[in-house]
Amino acid sequence: MGIALGAGLAVSIAGLGGGVGMGVAGGKAIEAIARQPEVGGDVRTLMFITFAFIETLTIYGLLIAFMLVGKM
Amino acid sequence: MIFGLEGAYFNLGPIPVDHLVVTQWVIVAIIGLLAFFATRDMQVCPKGLQNAFEWIVVWTNDFFTSLMDKEHIAKKYAPLLSTFFLFILCSNYSGLIPGAEHINGFQPPTSNWNVTVALALITVLAVQSAGFAEHGFHYLGHFVSPNPLMLPLNLLEEITHPLSLTVRLFGNIFGEEMIIAYMLFLVPFLIPSALMALSVLLGAIQAIVFTILSASYIAAATGEGH
Repeated sequence: MGIALGAGLAVSIAGLGGGVGMGVAGGKAIEAIARQPEVGGDVRTLMFITFAFIETLTIYGLLIAFMLVGKM
Repeated sequence: MIFGLEGAYFNLGPIPVDHLVVTQWVIVAIIGLLAFFATRDMQVCPKGLQNAFEWIVVWTNDFFTSLMDKEHIAKKYAPLLSTFFLFILCSNYSGLIPGAEHINGFQPPTSNWNVTVALALITVLAVQSAGFAEHGFHYLGHFVSPNPLMLPLNLLEEITHPLSLTVRLFGNIFGEEMIIAYMLFLVPFLIPSALMALSVLLGAIQAIVFTILSASYIAAATGEGH
């Protein structure tokens, strides 16, 4: 029971933070492209790198959840 | 199931050969054969497969040059990085063959820890050797910049890079496979195909992200400023 709760919390809290971060980053990137469409390519590359860094933290939570489920 | 290698077909010396290794051999063979047939009798005016491959080479060289600033570094490491991209893309898509989750032999290799660790270690070797080749022994100076107090943090950063590369690729592909498998268990028809369509996009994005991050680590190691 405790382990199941922990696995659920690990992935959901990590997903919460990552979701907010990605929303902010993606929104700002779209604003930048809308203001200056000629730098779209560069902004898109940087946006993907940023997404990857944010997503790593969420994936750490997912990994912990998998480990906990494996222990059940 | 996640961490261990089990169900090896045979042993090659000390290395157990299981279905993941065989899948990777097949992927390597497919990419190698395509490259072989594309370059078999090359012409000045390319057409067909040779044309496509020349477009890929020119495009990746331009892309990595704009990403890594230094052209000779980009030219030197573009083959490695493009191979990362092609291999990871084919690995991710090898799980999308219909019914692949139910057949033992068709797990995507990148959904296993050991494969992604190996890929990340290749990146680490490339980053360190690129740094040494570009700066010589001055490269060691960047571990104590801006001052020697930062040495532990800089070393930690060098460890976190491969860890995050490993976990990102493994977590994404493994998670996606697990979700599709659960969905197939709950709703056997139609619904999992939406998730599989999403994972076509996800597989390509993960391959791009791994390649771009490797490129930017190499660019950071060879760049000026330390």
